[in-house]
Amino acid sequence: MLLEVEQLTKSYKNHTVVNGLTLGIEPNHCVALLGPNGAGKTTTLQMLAGLLKPTSGRIAFMDQLMEQHSIGYLPQYPSFFRWMTAREFLQFAGRLSRMPRSELADKSEEMLHFVGLKDAAGKRIGGFSGGMKQRLGLAQALLHDPKLLILDEPVSALDPSGRLDVLEMMKELKRSRTIVYSTHVLHDAEQVCDDIVMMKEGRALWSGPLDALKESHQDETFILSTSESLEGWIGTRDYVASFSLLSPSNAEIRLAHSDDRNRLLAECIDSGMTIKRFEEKSPSLEDVYREVIGA
Amino acid sequence: MNSFGTLFVKELVEAWRDKKLVWLPVVMCILAILQPISLYYMPQIMNKAGNLPPGTEIKIPVPTGEEVLAGTLSQFGVLGIAIVVLSVMGSIAAERNSGVLSLIMVRRVSPLQYIGSKWAAQAVMLLASFAASYLLACYYTALLFNQVAWTRILASLGIYSLWILFAMTITLGAGTLLRKSGGIAGISLAFIAALSLCSSLFPRFMKWSPSNAQSQAAKLLTEGAGSASLPVMLVSAAVLIAVIFFAAVACFKRYETYS
Repeated sequence: MLLEVEQLTKSYKNHTVVNGLTLGIEPNHCVALLGPNGAGKTTTLQMLAGLLKPTSGRIAFMDQLMEQHSIGYLPQYPSFFRWMTAREFLQFAGRLSRMPRSELADKSEEMLHFVGLKDAAGKRIGGFSGGMKQRLGLAQALLHDPKLLILDEPVSALDPSGRLDVLEMMKELKRSRTIVYSTHVLHDAEQVCDDIVMMKEGRALWSGPLDALKESHQDETFILSTSESLEGWIGTRDYVASFSLLSPSNAEIRLAHSDDRNRLLAECIDSGMTIKRFEEKSPSLEDVYREVIGA
Repeated sequence: MNSFGTLFVKELVEAWRDKKLVWLPVVMCILAILQPISLYYMPQIMNKAGNLPPGTEIKIPVPTGEEVLAGTLSQFGVLGIAIVVLSVMGSIAAERNSGVLSLIMVRRVSPLQYIGSKWAAQAVMLLASFAASYLLACYYTALLFNQVAWTRILASLGIYSLWILFAMTITLGAGTLLRKSGGIAGISLAFIAALSLCSSLFPRFMKWSPSNAQSQAAKLLTEGAGSASLPVMLVSAAVLIAVIFFAAVACFKRYETYS
């Protein structure tokens, strides 16, 4: 475990934003926080970054050194000094993180290149677009080679090509770092992350590996398509819990037990049908999300 | 360079790019030389614009250079302090409101380093501007009236600087409490005005008040020595500045969030 969160709670005068959140984050994993607006994602990330004091609960880093300097944080709406240039801001941020001067110059050029701001490095931040600020925000979060990256909605404010770029960067980054990020774009989460934490009203409704999440919501649904018509035939199988015909020869079938899949296939063959496609239908993250969150 | 140094340099560069390093000394200099020049030309001004019946003879005693400089300082007491407050009021609130403060504090900058760098950078800028403008006023006074002794100039400059530092620290402290710069300026000016008013209403009990720096500096100029309560005032001003500074740091530490 890189860090452990125990019974983390943040409450304001009349409402509780994060309510008894318990999590463990493994090193070099990419964790996505999912949930509707107001679920407490941003608040949780701010507490992890040390910017917000928890009302109660504990955030424990396994490595004490790590807590000091090894967090990179990208807020939802990163904001900079308008009068600085992109390069100047990275130098400023690097010095605050006590990076050695010799290393800093090279590193900030490298980061500007990585996030695609090389051409704008000498321009005032005041003239930057939202996407450029997001990129600069990512650059300053990565600058000091943190072991833990905390990104709050890193792709929500970007245009489609910017979003693809950032997702590619995250794929590359997660090889050597732990990334915790929040998003409400489920498709993006599915592409990048290893683990999922689903939050609603300040509680974690589900947390664990993405594969396990999908597996746990696997419900013995299969797609069968044949050359012959399935109408009539399929209704007479008593182990079929329910089915719907997408076309006369194409059916989505839900079975009562997982053992019945072979039986179904065998009977298909016995009846002399030509099987064109038989596949287990795995739920998309969106299906699972709807089910867990109850939206 | 440590975080304090980085933040300190950033403040100065920011002031340069904002042109604050230009307008602040210029405004202060104009304010300072207004007094010797207007006093020097007062008889002519009265003559030309006074609407007096012809034949009226005006005799205004020519003030000494010491009196002129004391007048300069009392000009500063109103407008100068307003400039101090206005130039400092937004320095914390603006960074807090824009959200850039969270990018600074996430790098484990301590509140002491942050507030300390603000205090030091503003102090350097304000005191340098004030010293420049005051010396310019001394120069004009020497040209138009008479040369004032250097010891008196430096002593009054030092004492008055303490009052400027006090006003600045109050504003910085209010800046950690409120998020709107209007409110910060309002609170600071109200506090400073209340202190000055109390000092003139109850001089017996307010000998310690830093606002007495104005009258002490004027007395030093004209009489060559401050009144007996000068040491008390100096110590209490220094202590109050330190107390308000650390209260501001403590207040900043208690922020729930930096954005």
